Amino acid sequence: MTTAILFYFYAAIAIAGALGLVSATKLLHGVLSLFATLIAMGGLYLLLGMEFLAAMQLFVYGGAITILVMFALMLSGPEAEEVHVTGVRLRWLPSIISAVLFVAIALVVWQAKWDVVAPHALDTQAIATILFSRYVLPFEIAGLSLTIALIGAVVIARQDDMVGVVYETAAEPDPEEPYRHHSEDEEAAK
Amino acid sequence: MIGLNHYLLLGAALFAIGIFGALTSKSALRVVICVELILNAVNLNLAAFSAYVAPKQAVGMNFVIFLMVVAAAEVGLALAIIISLNRTSDVGAIGSIRRLRG
Repeated sequence: MTTAILFYFYAAIAIAGALGLVSATKLLHGVLSLFATLIAMGGLYLLLGMEFLAAMQLFVYGGAITILVMFALMLSGPEAEEVHVTGVRLRWLPSIISAVLFVAIALVVWQAKWDVVAPHALDTQAIATILFSRYVLPFEIAGLSLTIALIGAVVIARQDDMVGVVYETAAEPDPEEPYRHHSEDEEAAK
Repeated sequence: MIGLNHYLLLGAALFAIGIFGALTSKSALRVVICVELILNAVNLNLAAFSAYVAPKQAVGMNFVIFLMVVAAAEVGLALAIIISLNRTSDVGAIGSIRRLRG
């Protein structure tokens, strides 16, 4: 009974956060509601009896990826906060596609007969034994690919003229329009 | 009683919402965020199957761990590409990226 209440609680938070992401007018608000979804997913992993996965969900998704997305959002300037969603009349096709996907998956799930077995709790030591014995090669490859991807991210995101020179490229304020973004915002408010 | 179907339906709902968000995006950053939501839905499915169908082997649980690694690598690379595009061409909108077209 407690499990059911907790499941519906976390599921409601997850769905609400996802809906908040797709309906947010500002991208930063969308990222924050996705954060609620990620935390709720950690709770769902706890309900499934996977403490290690819940902790990893909080660390990797709730911590690292959310912060990374916010950094990218703030580094990509004020243009990123402008219109980023298609107009209402362009939304009917995505609505139909996602509704058909959901109905199809739900039909398959209802009709399928899974061989559900009795739950068996796995402590973190058992996970480590499996991960470092049977899956040790994929583990190493995953670590290597993560290293390569992050080095590649640094190479891609680095400015070419940034090698050695940092301070000279800082933009001087435009004397004619020193507060350009603020004035644009005020005009938009009017 | 909460069973496997509840988790699968929740995963399907999150997946569909993520697909909707990715298809209605104009900015590349929003597409990346919605893909993160989709990956999370897949992770939930894998974890539910691992807990209900094969709890002793923990195959699905290991898949989730590897998927988290792949998702971290993917979001890092995608955000680097978006920052680089923003710097070189002042575009955040995916419709206006034409450099790679033939």
